[in-house]
Amino acid sequence: MTLSPNWLAAPIVIPMLTAALSLAFTRWNRRTAAKRQRNLAAIAIGLNLLVALLLLVYTLSGNRLVLQMGGWAAPFGITVIADGLTAILLTLTGLVAAAMLPFAVGTLDQRERMSFYPLMLFLLMGVNGAYLAGDLFNLYVFFEVLLMSSFVLLTLGGQAGQINGGIRYVVLNLVASVLFLAAAGLAYGALGTLNMAHLALRIPQAPVAVQTLLAGLLLIAFSSKAALFPLFFWLPSSYHTPHPVVTAFFGGLLTKVGIYALFRTFTLLFPLYLVEWQSLLLTIAGLTMLTGVLGALAANTMRRVLSFQIISQVGYMVMGLGLAGSSDATLASFGMAAGIFYLIHHMVVEVALLMVGGATELEVMSGSLLQRRLGGLMGRRPALAVIFFVAAFALAGMPPTSGFVSKLSLLQSALQNGNYVIAGVSLLVGALTLVSMARLWQHGFWGKATEPIYPTAPLSSVSGRWLTLTPIAALLTLSLTIGLYSAPFFRWSSTAAQQVLDREGYIQAVAPTDEIHFMGGEAHD
Amino acid sequence: MNILMMALVVGVLFATGTYLILRRRPIRLILGLGLLSHGVNLLLFSLGGAERGLPPIVVDKAAFTGDISGFVDPLPQALILTAIVIGFGVTAFTVVLVNRRHALAEEAVADVPVVASRKVVDPFAPMEHYSGGLDADPDDYEWLEYSVSDELSRARQRIHEHAAADAQLDEPTGSGKANNMNEESD
Repeated sequence: MTLSPNWLAAPIVIPMLTAALSLAFTRWNRRTAAKRQRNLAAIAIGLNLLVALLLLVYTLSGNRLVLQMGGWAAPFGITVIADGLTAILLTLTGLVAAAMLPFAVGTLDQRERMSFYPLMLFLLMGVNGAYLAGDLFNLYVFFEVLLMSSFVLLTLGGQAGQINGGIRYVVLNLVASVLFLAAAGLAYGALGTLNMAHLALRIPQAPVAVQTLLAGLLLIAFSSKAALFPLFFWLPSSYHTPHPVVTAFFGGLLTKVGIYALFRTFTLLFPLYLVEWQSLLLTIAGLTMLTGVLGALAANTMRRVLSFQIISQVGYMVMGLGLAGSSDATLASFGMAAGIFYLIHHMVVEVALLMVGGATELEVMSGSLLQRRLGGLMGRRPALAVIFFVAAFALAGMPPTSGFVSKLSLLQSALQNGNYVIAGVSLLVGALTLVSMARLWQHGFWGKATEPIYPTAPLSSVSGRWLTLTPIAALLTLSLTIGLYSAPFFRWSSTAAQQVLDREGYIQAVAPTDEIHFMGGEAHD
Repeated sequence: MNILMMALVVGVLFATGTYLILRRRPIRLILGLGLLSHGVNLLLFSLGGAERGLPPIVVDKAAFTGDISGFVDPLPQALILTAIVIGFGVTAFTVVLVNRRHALAEEAVADVPVVASRKVVDPFAPMEHYSGGLDADPDDYEWLEYSVSDELSRARQRIHEHAAADAQLDEPTGSGKANNMNEESD
């Protein structure tokens, strides 16, 4: 099977064009703009998902797809590349966006008319572009595209809490971006290239001090984007402030881009540091899990608990990256596969849980656990309760769901590597996650009702019920499928892991050249 | 000498930017962000070879031998252009955010008959003076008020009235509460 590399442009171009087009609707007819934007977004998200699935089928048979923009050879032009990991993430992003659209239609208030859908599409474009970028500078640019759209989405509505959260979010992400840009600039200064395959070729020639500097700067920048241990504080101080739709969208997509960037740079550019810094990465992973789950136990509103749970879960993926630093090739590949498998599980389940948590808050117009505002929802909203129960079980890693298999594979990998401390920490954190989920369940669904259900709450109408609950149920069905038929999913993760760890294959696919060819002819002849 | 001077300027910009970001005043925050992004722009610029008078393009291609020491690298300048645009956009957005927060704070002060004080927030003060932290603070659910009319507060009031009435009528069972509530709200 051959596939035209031009397909790689589609996940970037489709959301960009449709977003730009749908912005024009507000000029044309302000009253019907939201509806038109919604329809256009549905088409864009559907197309994007189809292209992502096409790329997934192509890359999981062991191929890489490379597009050199404008026909310029590798280090001189812009390279766009997809391998298994990229295609998996593109597909999951498409799925999350597809689930988010009906949920947004069902639950959004006036904010729907403030260009919500174009912003969502711009965010999608940034995320897709970051996964596809083949050089550091374009990675930076797409990071900024997704951050800019997320800034606006976060503060859409302009309430005081949102503005305060937004300022923290903007400032801390800008500082991380500055560090990232400095690292890209220093890489160009030291090695004369920004193309990742070319950097991977040249990086052994650089002095050790420069290599350490680059690895350290990128580690700090990406851990801040991925909300890892010492740099996670922007996340719990901003994620609970916007509308629940926005929180769910962010929780599914944003931190994963940071994780992807860590996976890519450490396996491709710094394989030696992956081995050398294994204990550092595992320590970061363990502390991220622990602080996240302890924060979740201490937090007192529903979405704050779920925001802290994002941090805790991100730690597991970094644990996979740390385990990929094993000196034994098979064990390294297994660790990486477990990390990617966890990423698949997490993107599905975290989004579902944030959606159901948001729907719960919207029902009673509160999420406070301290003031006992929630409560008694099990009798009044049984479908919501069942869905919340399954999602919470999936996050805590209970057997029939994908959470169990993904935690099991990480644990197995850690035990095979002899990293008993991180194995113990991951088990402890799993148990504490169950406690924090049980706490939400107890406050939210058990007990006596103290608050009325708001008359126009999303689940009051039949159409609202379908729009809100169907996407969550679909995501949880996927999670159960992964849990019950995990073999094919794990096989795909292993294929992706082998591709990610295969540096030579990546470099050959991009084929960077040092020869300079002039445009225009006479130098050729 | 030239590159040393550039390094010093970049260092000073980064240090000043970091210092200003850590201040409490919003205007210093904005200035700090600007200085940081200019610091990194200058860093990129100096990597392209900050030599005066060297051309960035090869004019006489036939005579070009592959020796690039006589040229300045044009790529970092293209990168800086992109970075300046992005930095400008983010800084402008931060200004809007700070402005909006200022406006909201003024509204809040106008609503409450208390004179705004310049009291410094003490992180070690007892918890009752400190509304931040992990507790549910009232700010958390302001996004909801955006879509809530006074209908909700009336519904809440009805529920509390019913609850009070129920408490008087059947103190021991208390089961009537939940039924009433369902009728009211669903």
